[in-house]
Amino acid sequence: MKILIIEDEIELSKSMVNYLQRENYSCDIAFNVREGRAKIESFEYDCILLDISLPDGNGLAILKELKEDNKLDGLIIISAKNSLDDKIAGLNLGADDYLPKPFHLSELSARIAAVIRRKKFQGNTVLEFHELSIDLSAKMVLVNQQPLELTRKEFDLLLYLVSNKNRVISKNAIAESLSGEGAHLYDNFDFIYAHMKNLKRKLANAGCREYIKSIYGMGYKFAV
Amino acid sequence: MKLLQKTIRLYLLYSVFILLVTIPVFYYVIQNIIRESVDEDLLSRKTALQENITARLRLQPGDSLVFLDQDLELQSSLIREPFDSFSTEELFDVREKEMIPHRFLRANFLVNGQPYLMQLRTSLLETDDLVRSLVKVQALLLLLLLGGLIIINRHLSKWIWKPFYHTLGKLREFNIEKEPGIELPSSPVTEFNLLNEAVTDLTGRAHQSFTLQKEFTENASHEMQTPLAVLQSKLELLMQTSPLNQEQAGLIDALADAAVRMTRLNKSLLLLTKIENNQFPDKEELMLTQMLEEFSTLYQAQVQQKHLALEFFFQHEVVLIANKVLIEILLSNLFGNAIRHNRENGRIETHLSENKLLIRNSGVNHSLDADKLFHRFQKESTDSNSIGLGLEMSKKICALYGYHLSYQFENNLHEFILDFSAGALPKQ
Repeated sequence: MKILIIEDEIELSKSMVNYLQRENYSCDIAFNVREGRAKIESFEYDCILLDISLPDGNGLAILKELKEDNKLDGLIIISAKNSLDDKIAGLNLGADDYLPKPFHLSELSARIAAVIRRKKFQGNTVLEFHELSIDLSAKMVLVNQQPLELTRKEFDLLLYLVSNKNRVISKNAIAESLSGEGAHLYDNFDFIYAHMKNLKRKLANAGCREYIKSIYGMGYKFAV
Repeated sequence: MKLLQKTIRLYLLYSVFILLVTIPVFYYVIQNIIRESVDEDLLSRKTALQENITARLRLQPGDSLVFLDQDLELQSSLIREPFDSFSTEELFDVREKEMIPHRFLRANFLVNGQPYLMQLRTSLLETDDLVRSLVKVQALLLLLLLGGLIIINRHLSKWIWKPFYHTLGKLREFNIEKEPGIELPSSPVTEFNLLNEAVTDLTGRAHQSFTLQKEFTENASHEMQTPLAVLQSKLELLMQTSPLNQEQAGLIDALADAAVRMTRLNKSLLLLTKIENNQFPDKEELMLTQMLEEFSTLYQAQVQQKHLALEFFFQHEVVLIANKVLIEILLSNLFGNAIRHNRENGRIETHLSENKLLIRNSGVNHSLDADKLFHRFQKESTDSNSIGLGLEMSKKICALYGYHLSYQFENNLHEFILDFSAGALPKQ
């Protein structure tokens, strides 16, 4: 899978490349609109991460051109502006997602995975890890071909972990992904422990190996 | 009290004082002047008569003389010393049928060694009338003067003070967020010109510093986003490094928490600036009951985590015309506070009546400082997840739509009351 990152902040693009390469994505970087255009003309990308404010113009211009050329495969806008107008404009122009800065790399990775699944496989994906299989279109989890009853939150949690497999995901990232803006209303991270505990118990009871590991209370990791 | 009334009142007091003091003084002064002239008149008559009488007595000596003039009497006297004495006495006047004051001059003199007393008198009736008339005229003049002063004050002053009231009106309407300063016309009065110049200067500078402050917050928050994104991403990469021990993990965890808090604070500041800049112009009809029910499902997990009893009392549907995002922020701030600042096994009551939303929750057992509550970074709790901007934001949103947000503490419950009655309501 090939990803193009159009982002002028060098350190941030380096971080994204570093994180995404571990997911076996191959990443290209463009620091401005001109470089972005050149890369898009020369190569095919499965997903483009596009910053709106670039030194030589507005990233939305690239989005418009892609749409006109019918080359729009998967595109996620990453913006420091977090303005509703930008978001609506971007999504109307055909962007698949909008992620305001600052974001968690794990969140970015999960969104990229979702976009690629939707674009490439029309959402019909079954993720398999030995005895565990996750059917994304049916929102079903099977352990040893036996269906496993999970709540909505538990399913989302599992999917988030799986989207960042073999990565440590911080508690904050999990909290935000699970409850959105409401994350700050929790006094502590007890609710994550509760959901995580239930998920692990259900998986273990169904005979699944212990893939989910807690990393020093800092976060969790789905290790396969 | 108006400045105008105050001056008029002072004028009135002074004028009444002057009237009360001057009328008697004036009366006595005039009376004395007239008395003096009457006395002089009597004396000159006496001098003329004395020669005449002396001549007659020399020809026709006797005890007394009879004159046709009733005001003149002459009789022999026992005192040999010559003297002149004046006195005022009341005599009964047959014509006027009342006692009338008279001025008497009694002159003692010797004719051929024989002492005589001459008595001259003159009625003071005329002079008293004159004095009274004069006093009346003076009183009338003073009253006219006073009345004139009041009328001039009332009408002319209004006209003179007009530029002042104009300036005052402009100042009252001044909106620091929108107007770059107040422009005022020049006035022919120096003081008002000085005032207007000062007002124009001051409002201009106030607006400028307000804009600068707003821009600073906006720019600072914006510029902070990218370094924050870098910080957060590097921390996440640091988490992936191995080997990682417990101590390092603890440090990274603490840093990640701080980064998240900073992010949240920054987002809130940006949002606050956007509300101030009125960057949420779209409005739609919003059903409050529906939105509140959505919140209760949205925050179900948080409510369950604290074992809170959640109660809704919907007596009346409230439909607002407002921006959905802003009303969601407003409700989630109030609702969120009710959850966050609650205690274990506490409760939250939500009452919705006509034009009023009341959210009541248990929490600390003392009232919060209602004056400070709605200001930036006034935190009542030590909860690090609370950033102290929520209520200020709520207040700003309310101000935008003319709602009124207030706080009170009753029966150990904290109440936030949202009154929509002054806001724009949908057509019935």
